[in-house]
Amino acid sequence: MIVLPSIAFGGFSGSAKDVTARHVGGRSILSVRSWPTGQKTNAQVARRASLARITKSYQTLTADQMIAWERLAEHTSGQSVFGQKAELTGINLFVRLNVSRVMAGESILKDAPAMIAALPLVSYSALWITPKTVIIKGIAHEVGLKLVVKMTGGQSAGVSSGWSKAVIVSPGMEDDWGDADMTYLYFKTIGVKPSVGEKIFLEMYWLDPASGVVGPSIQTSKVVESEEDAEAEGYVKREKITMADVKEDSHVSECDVDFSTNAPVVSFDTVCLGHSNVASSYAYLEDDLPADCLGTSMALGRGMGDGNAALAAQSYIIWLRNSSWDGANICFAHRGGYYVKPTEVFGPGILY
Amino acid sequence: MAPASSTNTAMFNSTGNNFGAGTIQFKDYQAENYVVLNAKITYDPSNADYQAADVLEIYVPDLSINRSAVAGVFLTFQDRYVYSSYTWNNDGGTAVKSWIKDKNTICIEKLTNFDDKAEHTIFILALYPSLNQGGGTIKGTRTAIQMTQETRYLYWSSDTFCVIFEHWVFLHMQFSSCSYSYRNQPWEANMGNFPTDVCADVPFLGGSNQYNPSVNGYSLAHVENGVFTCQERMSGFDSTGYDPFIFAFLVRDGE
Repeated sequence: MIVLPSIAFGGFSGSAKDVTARHVGGRSILSVRSWPTGQKTNAQVARRASLARITKSYQTLTADQMIAWERLAEHTSGQSVFGQKAELTGINLFVRLNVSRVMAGESILKDAPAMIAALPLVSYSALWITPKTVIIKGIAHEVGLKLVVKMTGGQSAGVSSGWSKAVIVSPGMEDDWGDADMTYLYFKTIGVKPSVGEKIFLEMYWLDPASGVVGPSIQTSKVVESEEDAEAEGYVKREKITMADVKEDSHVSECDVDFSTNAPVVSFDTVCLGHSNVASSYAYLEDDLPADCLGTSMALGRGMGDGNAALAAQSYIIWLRNSSWDGANICFAHRGGYYVKPTEVFGPGILY
Repeated sequence: MAPASSTNTAMFNSTGNNFGAGTIQFKDYQAENYVVLNAKITYDPSNADYQAADVLEIYVPDLSINRSAVAGVFLTFQDRYVYSSYTWNNDGGTAVKSWIKDKNTICIEKLTNFDDKAEHTIFILALYPSLNQGGGTIKGTRTAIQMTQETRYLYWSSDTFCVIFEHWVFLHMQFSSCSYSYRNQPWEANMGNFPTDVCADVPFLGGSNQYNPSVNGYSLAHVENGVFTCQERMSGFDSTGYDPFIFAFLVRDGE
């Protein structure tokens, strides 16, 4: 039988079995230790190790740095509980901000930021989830901020609140001209494709990678529908080729060909490796190109080699075709300037 | 502030830059979702502003788009060596990346490889597109340019063509060869099928560059009233395998 501390009365602090009492800012807080259920994932292990590393690194700060974090914490409130704002200590704030930063691929911030600015809510127009596609459309771009997206695996359509099961699918991505295509990240993180009729819960918020501050989160859910139903409801697939669409035996190490300009040019960002003794590179595609993407283009290139003419400007004629002989492909054929392997072909290319 | 020239061709001046280039004059066509800009910018790479910049920025009045995908512009430099009575021309150049960062800022990648040269010239002859615009790419029509001369001494690749639009034109020219006796003369040729309302200096990139082997040679050409001219070429201009070419999105002046 536990005698002390008595958590029935204020003024005590300490732990008794799985219950911890704290006295913070004139109020008593009781918390029950939670134990993880299920098997640890690699992501969980990595995140806990990161948390430990960040906490430990606080001890390496100079006295002035710690004072700066304490001062900032005095002016920063934690999450409100029961209508009363919690107070943060310097180390609490240091850990909170740096966990977000490290998650977004940034280094640990040792100097406290001068101030913490409020971030906006994520504004978007549509969420489409089909067995082939997971995409958030119409995101209002926020300069310098990264989008954090948490999602669940497929739940029963009858579940009304599943956000507690959401895991981080994108630790910090920039929207791609208003789109956040989560398809690859979702499949990679969750491990299975969503099935029609399942319900997916999603939470997202902005992260300022410079300070580690995160904005308010927005929660939503969506029942997975078929590609056909999504298209009937207004989903328009963006015409774009990425490495995910390119077969392994291709001669490109990067391939981003974007037709969505609504202008007379295609946008290229491709690294051509060349092949055999021919001054061209093929990107062999998994699926046929849509009819309105077929044709010929011409774009600029610049060498990426390390020998003669390493930085040579070049022009490339680009054939976009569905061939009955070798399937759908994009052929980048050298024209002007000195031919170099590898070369990046970039920028707008006229299409005819 | 209204766009400098909404869906129309005009000219405007820069309001500043971060690399010591003075005022820059642009010829422009601005549509709702893309802009075509033409400008020629000269600066001294030893100046303090240039040295301090990570990315070259040009500040301009409101553009019609508030960001763009990457486009290509040309960085060129002059490099001459005098041997007794002969001047060895090693002028060079390459493509650098450029993009619109916001309505008032055009960015250009800073390539420091040629900062030892006395003067740089950047040619902006570019179309800056926006992406995810709710529609696909609009196709144009390829028009072969008929290069003619009273006495024929210039020969061009079949990939010498243009794609003509109402307010601008895309131009690609690729040199094949020149009759030996004309190789050091000023060149002039008529550009049949090419719009006559285009007037621009254009970099002619290609040729082996002995003293700057990391890049092609650079020679200056000019297009005006449907006539192509090129006063002089760099020393390795007609080296095999270094095919000189012109790649430009050019604003039309309107007829």
